[in-house]
Amino acid sequence: MWAARRMASTISASSPALTFELVARCSTTRARASVLTLPHGPVPLPIFMPVATQASLKGLTPEQLEGTGCRLCLNNTYHLGLKPGQEVLDAVGGAHKLQGWKHNILTDSGGFQMVSLLKLANITEQGVRFLSPHDGTPMLLTPEHSISLQNSIGSDIIMQLDDVLVTTSPDKARMREAMERSVRWLDRCIAAHKHPDRQNLFCIIQGGLDLDMRRECCREMLARDTPGIAIGGLSGGEAKDDFCKVVAACTELLPDLKPRYVMGIGYPEDLVVSVALGADMFDCVWPTRTARFGNAITKHGVLNMKRELYAADFGPIEDGCGCPCCRPAEEEGAMGITRAFVHHNAAKETVAAHLLTLHNVWYQLSLMRQAREAIIADRFPDFVREFFRNLYPERSSYPAWAVTALKGVGIDLLET
Amino acid sequence: MTVDIPDGDQEAMRFEILGSVLKDGAAARLGRLTLPGRRPIDTPNFVGVTSRGVLPHLTPDNVSKHLQVSSAYMALEDFIEKPQQYSKRVPPIFSTPTTTKQGTPLHSFTAMPPSVTTILSARRLPAVPPPNGNTNDSISVFTSTGFQVLPTKEYLSAVQTLKPDIAIPPADLTHGPVAPNSKRALRMAERTDEWVVEWFSSLSRSSSSPQSTFAPVLPISHSIQWEYLARLAEDYLPSSQLHGLAFYDADVLPDIAAHTPSLVQLPLLSLLASQIQSQTQTPHHILRQISLGIDLFAIPFVNAASDAGLALTFRFPPPPHTTTTNGPLLPLATDLSLPESNNTTSLAPLAEDCTCYTCTSHHRAYVHHLLSAREMLGWTLLQVHNHAVMAAFFAGVRAALAEVEGGNDKFEVLRKEFALAYEPDFPEGMAQRPRARGYQYKSAGGGEGKRNKPAWGKLGGAGVDVDGNGEAGISRGGAEETTGGMANGEGAYARDLEGRGFAQVQN
Repeated sequence: MWAARRMASTISASSPALTFELVARCSTTRARASVLTLPHGPVPLPIFMPVATQASLKGLTPEQLEGTGCRLCLNNTYHLGLKPGQEVLDAVGGAHKLQGWKHNILTDSGGFQMVSLLKLANITEQGVRFLSPHDGTPMLLTPEHSISLQNSIGSDIIMQLDDVLVTTSPDKARMREAMERSVRWLDRCIAAHKHPDRQNLFCIIQGGLDLDMRRECCREMLARDTPGIAIGGLSGGEAKDDFCKVVAACTELLPDLKPRYVMGIGYPEDLVVSVALGADMFDCVWPTRTARFGNAITKHGVLNMKRELYAADFGPIEDGCGCPCCRPAEEEGAMGITRAFVHHNAAKETVAAHLLTLHNVWYQLSLMRQAREAIIADRFPDFVREFFRNLYPERSSYPAWAVTALKGVGIDLLET
Repeated sequence: MTVDIPDGDQEAMRFEILGSVLKDGAAARLGRLTLPGRRPIDTPNFVGVTSRGVLPHLTPDNVSKHLQVSSAYMALEDFIEKPQQYSKRVPPIFSTPTTTKQGTPLHSFTAMPPSVTTILSARRLPAVPPPNGNTNDSISVFTSTGFQVLPTKEYLSAVQTLKPDIAIPPADLTHGPVAPNSKRALRMAERTDEWVVEWFSSLSRSSSSPQSTFAPVLPISHSIQWEYLARLAEDYLPSSQLHGLAFYDADVLPDIAAHTPSLVQLPLLSLLASQIQSQTQTPHHILRQISLGIDLFAIPFVNAASDAGLALTFRFPPPPHTTTTNGPLLPLATDLSLPESNNTTSLAPLAEDCTCYTCTSHHRAYVHHLLSAREMLGWTLLQVHNHAVMAAFFAGVRAALAEVEGGNDKFEVLRKEFALAYEPDFPEGMAQRPRARGYQYKSAGGGEGKRNKPAWGKLGGAGVDVDGNGEAGISRGGAEETTGGMANGEGAYARDLEGRGFAQVQN
């Protein structure tokens, strides 16, 4: 089913609803630049995917989101299952049509929300049992339900239902059970999937922080030959060192010609390190959520626009940023937004949240664009060094986990 | 019929009355207001009402791209709050640098697109009534940090610094729900008169002040404020210092037209004096005021309708078949939060034949979904649509007025048809609102009750927010919180879960 072919400089592979083309590889690290072609168009990788939970990216119009260069965003199955619900999705003709989004959508399985939102979820072989948050009625989400919903949503990438467990759980037996169950559930998801010709089902590698279990899971999942692979269960409060080890252990085993998605990752330094470790796709609500708390992500760190410091600061949110907020007002399509204006309306008018959301999404996408360009030009290690130089004024304050993880793939951040 | 102010000056405001039902006196008229550097405004037209310098829910790029709004009403009280820890600071807006594209500090600070004309007043629209009232040399304003005294001299200097295109001098208004008694009304007229005299004398002493002044007309009878109005006509009109009138009650207009007809040649702007007025304003009121001769309208109901989940649906002239049949009256707006008329699955535009961004790129089902999920984009899309409906409404009015030349009064005929075709009031709007903040919505009389369900409550009690999924800390991996805006909303319901892909466990 996987047809790999070598061309002059690129190699690619395709499955019924996806083509993965490896454009370049970093000669030092495991970083890769590629093009993922999905039913709604090509997506350059590595990529950050902003999260439009309820079919809307927190106040941005689909047109504004498109303007940031975003070609693949997330919707959450759990939320769309509640509102507007499967019947409406079927009647409207899927999530693309619902939200007027011409580009690609990825949906999660809904399992993570069951665990993160509903503390009383109970996982059995059948599926995730949980008490309705409203009246305590017992409910059940099975792999078949999840896939059926995702088929109705019509997303370009759909995720298997997995047995999510906090990575820090000390219960080894339970962790193994979760990993093995995730594999069994993948089989049920594949069987239930009605549109493999236009929707790509990705598997999710589980196994907590136990690298051997992760490797075992990789082998099992790879045997099922899904069009893409996700590394799940991370970003749940584990140490960053452990996180990096898991990503590195998985990417080592994964085939070159499939996209690799690390779920729930979003801090800029996490993205840069994960790209160095060989991951391609990331999603996180943090950039858009923090925008609503008045925070702007910049290459020098996160700035809280609500601070008095910015009340009379008439510079852009970030100097040199290319987003529609920050570019000078004289430029075509630019707004000429100042920090003072964001400060003036932060937490008072929704517009301030929209502007920071726009800026932060732009920042994340642009960071990944720059990483991609650096990989293609084979100067990715320099890009990583510059990124950390901008973020931390002192070399001594570089986070140890990042230094260690990068050293493992051939970049010495502390080298002079 | 042209008022050039002053003659031959390139930097001056121009107002031309292009056509009118009557040659003199108060009557509906067609005009064009031109301000230097701004897009000319064909009148009658409407003014967008801002909050803290923004059209609510609309980023400046959406305003430039998707809104046909030609002017924006701004309130100084939105910019001069004194935070407790920084009570001595000069409001930052006063030090805003200008750029070649944004030539005035007010435009520059608010990033308002340069084509849009700014109108600055001291108070928001509608204004919250101050508990202490005004004094002989100051007015009470309501900022995000509380009530504050604004000396009239400071207001004038703020206007000179910020350089709005049109400034409205301070008026002694009560902003209360009841009309002032005659003694208070007399004092309103006297104080406003003094303040306006002070305004013009200070302006004439300053070297450059390109902005135009629209003098306030008080919401009291003409017989009480006639001296003030006569002064405007006799002193400030000939000296070309007065450029327009801002009415807090348009019903004074016929008397002004009768007594001081020269004033009526100026552009006339309609504002609202109280919260009650702005809550009850409808397009019927606007049409009536157009027939009195008002040129520009600041209309708070546009923003209010969007917040209430209402899509405006009226147009002018009304659809032809409606006035001939004795069918039910047409609604002025539809409540998109309701599941009725297939809102949940309809791929139809918000209003028939509407060409706005919302109606051409999205549909009722999406806006309904966004409202029910309390996603901020719902209000953005409604704002785009509702402003487009207002723009089309006024374009229809102007087209009708342009046909007056034939001798028959087309506008008046269509105005009557409109009154027969549409319901008298807006539907209430059942949607959950964006989080209301105290400085915007102050109780006028008390006892209004809460609009939205409480976001937080006792565990196990009613209205508990069940999916407020831990905003800080490690909730990084999952979904954005599902609750609308910057506030929290209702939770998930078992009956929603059922039959939507989440099976109920059979026991």
